Amino acid sequence: MSKEDLLQRVSEQIVAYDADKLVEAVKGALAQNVPSYEIVLAMSRGMQVVGQKFEDKEYFLPDLLMAAEAMKTAMDILGPYVTTARATAAGKVLIGTVEGDIHDIGKNIVVIFLKSAGFEVRDLGTDVPVEKFVEEAKMVNPDILGMSGLMSTSMPVMVEVIEALKREGLRDKIKVLLGGAPVTNEFGKRVGADAATNEALSGIRIMEQWMKEKSQP
Amino acid sequence: MTSMSEELTSYQRVMLALEGKQPDRVPVVLYPRYNALKYARHTFMEALDDPEKYVAAQLSAQRRFQYDSVHDYNMMGPVEEAMGRRAGFKLKYVRDDAPMVETSVKIKTSTDLEKLNAKVDPYMDGLCPKVLWVVKQLKLRTMEKGEPKVPVITWGSCPSRTAAVIMGYDQWFMLLIRNPELAVEFMELCVGPWLEMVVSEVDSGADVVWVNDPVSSADCISRAHYEKYTQPYEKKFIAAIKDRTGVPVIFHPCGNWHDRLDLVAQNGADALFPGTMDLSLVYEKTMGVANVKALNGGVGSARPNTVDLKGTTLAEDATTLLNGKPDEVEREAKRAIKIGTQRGAGFLLGGNCFPPLDVPLINIDAMVYSARKYGRYPISI
Repeated sequence: MSKEDLLQRVSEQIVAYDADKLVEAVKGALAQNVPSYEIVLAMSRGMQVVGQKFEDKEYFLPDLLMAAEAMKTAMDILGPYVTTARATAAGKVLIGTVEGDIHDIGKNIVVIFLKSAGFEVRDLGTDVPVEKFVEEAKMVNPDILGMSGLMSTSMPVMVEVIEALKREGLRDKIKVLLGGAPVTNEFGKRVGADAATNEALSGIRIMEQWMKEKSQP
Repeated sequence: MTSMSEELTSYQRVMLALEGKQPDRVPVVLYPRYNALKYARHTFMEALDDPEKYVAAQLSAQRRFQYDSVHDYNMMGPVEEAMGRRAGFKLKYVRDDAPMVETSVKIKTSTDLEKLNAKVDPYMDGLCPKVLWVVKQLKLRTMEKGEPKVPVITWGSCPSRTAAVIMGYDQWFMLLIRNPELAVEFMELCVGPWLEMVVSEVDSGADVVWVNDPVSSADCISRAHYEKYTQPYEKKFIAAIKDRTGVPVIFHPCGNWHDRLDLVAQNGADALFPGTMDLSLVYEKTMGVANVKALNGGVGSARPNTVDLKGTTLAEDATTLLNGKPDEVEREAKRAIKIGTQRGAGFLLGGNCFPPLDVPLINIDAMVYSARKYGRYPISI
C-alpha cells in the first residue's frame, strides 16, 4: 500500500470514528516508516471532515465525541513520536471557563477542534479565577486567550480578565476571543476583546485567521 | 386607553391557558428562579441552605412583579443525587446556578446500573424532602379563603437528561452510539424515581409540571437517534405523569429542535415552551397536534423566518431579556402574543429559558406590562 493510501486510511477511520481500525491503520503506517507527523496531519484532516459534517448537521455531538476519543487513542499509540509531529504548532491557545461558571461542553468542543487543527492548547478547565488566567498567560505566553461562559454572570469576569491583562502589559501581545451562549460580538468589542462567538467552528476559523495574519511578514 | 383591571386570578388564568382556552388576558409564566432571588437579595446557595428564603423570595417577587406563577427550586438534581449517591455520584453546588456534576458514575454494563438506587423515596432521600417542603409552602401561602390564587409550577427531569446527568454528558452521548441498548435500559431505570418525585410534588401542592430535555436537540443528537431512543422515554414519562396526577404538563425542548418539531408535538404535553426557537414555526408545526393546546415563551425567541432547519438563533435575538431595553422586550412580547394567540390557541408569555440572574428587573416589568397592554382578550393587535 502506498504512503498516500496508508494516510488516507487513517483519515477515513477518524471520520468513521472506529478506534480499533484507526489504531490498526496508525500501526500499519508506522510499520511502513511513514513519519508520525504525517500520520497526525492525516488525523487532523479526518477531524476537519468531522467538523464539516458537524456543521452540516450530518454529524452530531456523539459522532464528534467518538471521533475525538478515537484520535486520542491513536495519539497514545503514537506516543513519543508526537512531540516531533510538527516543527511548530499552528498557534498556542490558553483557554478556560471563567470563575463562577462550570459549564464546559462548548469549551471542550472548541478544544477538540483546536487540537485537531494543530494548535497547542493549555486548557485550564472551569471556574478559572482572573489571577489564574494572568499567571498562566505569563507562563505559557499564548498567541490567543479564549474565555468561555454560559451564564450572564460570567460576562463581567471576562471583562475583569481583559483589564488584568492590560494592567500586566499582556493585552497587546495576546488576541482575546470570548465564547458562550450569552456573548455577542457587540459585547466582545465593547469590552475590549478581539472577537466573540457562540459557535465552535466559527471560533476556530477566527483563530486560524489570526494566526495566518500573524505569520505574514 | 389600556385597561389594566384583572378579572381572574393568576391560577385561573394559567390553568385556562393551558387548557387552550382564552382567559381575561395572556398570563406571564417566565420561570423566575434567579430573578426572584435577586429581588429578595439572596444567592441561590443561601436559598438552598434555607428553603424559607427561597419560598419568601418567590412569593415577594410574584407580588411585586405580578407575573402569574411561582416555582420550586427546579433542576437541583435531588433525584439524580438520591439515585447515584451509593455509586459515588456527587453534585457541586455553586453560588448562583443549578448544581453541576462533580463525580459521575461509570456506566459500561447492565451490572453498573444495579449500583444505582431505583427506589427513591421522595419523602426521605437526600434533598427531595426539601423540594417537597418548598412546594407545600408555596401552595399554602398562595391560597386565599381556600382558593388557589397563584399556580405552583414544579419540575421533572425526563429520563434522557437524568441518565446524562448521572453518567456525564459526554459519556451519555457516546453511549448512544456504543451501546444504545444499554442507554435504553438506563432510561427505563430513570423513569420511576423521577415519576415518584413528580407525583409527590403534586401531592404537596404543585398545580403544573414542566419537563425539559436539554440533551436531545439538533445541537446534540440526530433526529433519528431522538426518535428511536430518547423520545419514547419522554412520551412514557409524560404519559405516566398525566396518568398518575392529572395535572397539565409543559414540555421544554431546550435548544434547536426545528427539524423534529413534528415529533415533539407527539410527546403528550399540554403545552410547549420552545425557548429560543422560531415561535411561528413551532406554532405551525405543533399547535393542535396530539395534545398540544398552548405555547409558552416568546421573548428571546428567534425572529420569524430567520432560521432554517440547521440554524441556531442569533445571540442578539436570544438575549433580549438580558441585554435589551424595555421597549425591545415590549416589541418582542407583542409579536409573541400575536403569534401565540392566533386562531384561538392558548398562550402564556415568557422568556426562552430561566431568565439569567442579571436580567434588569425593569425588563420583567416590561414583560408583564406588555401582557396587560396587548394580551387582553379578544386580542386586537
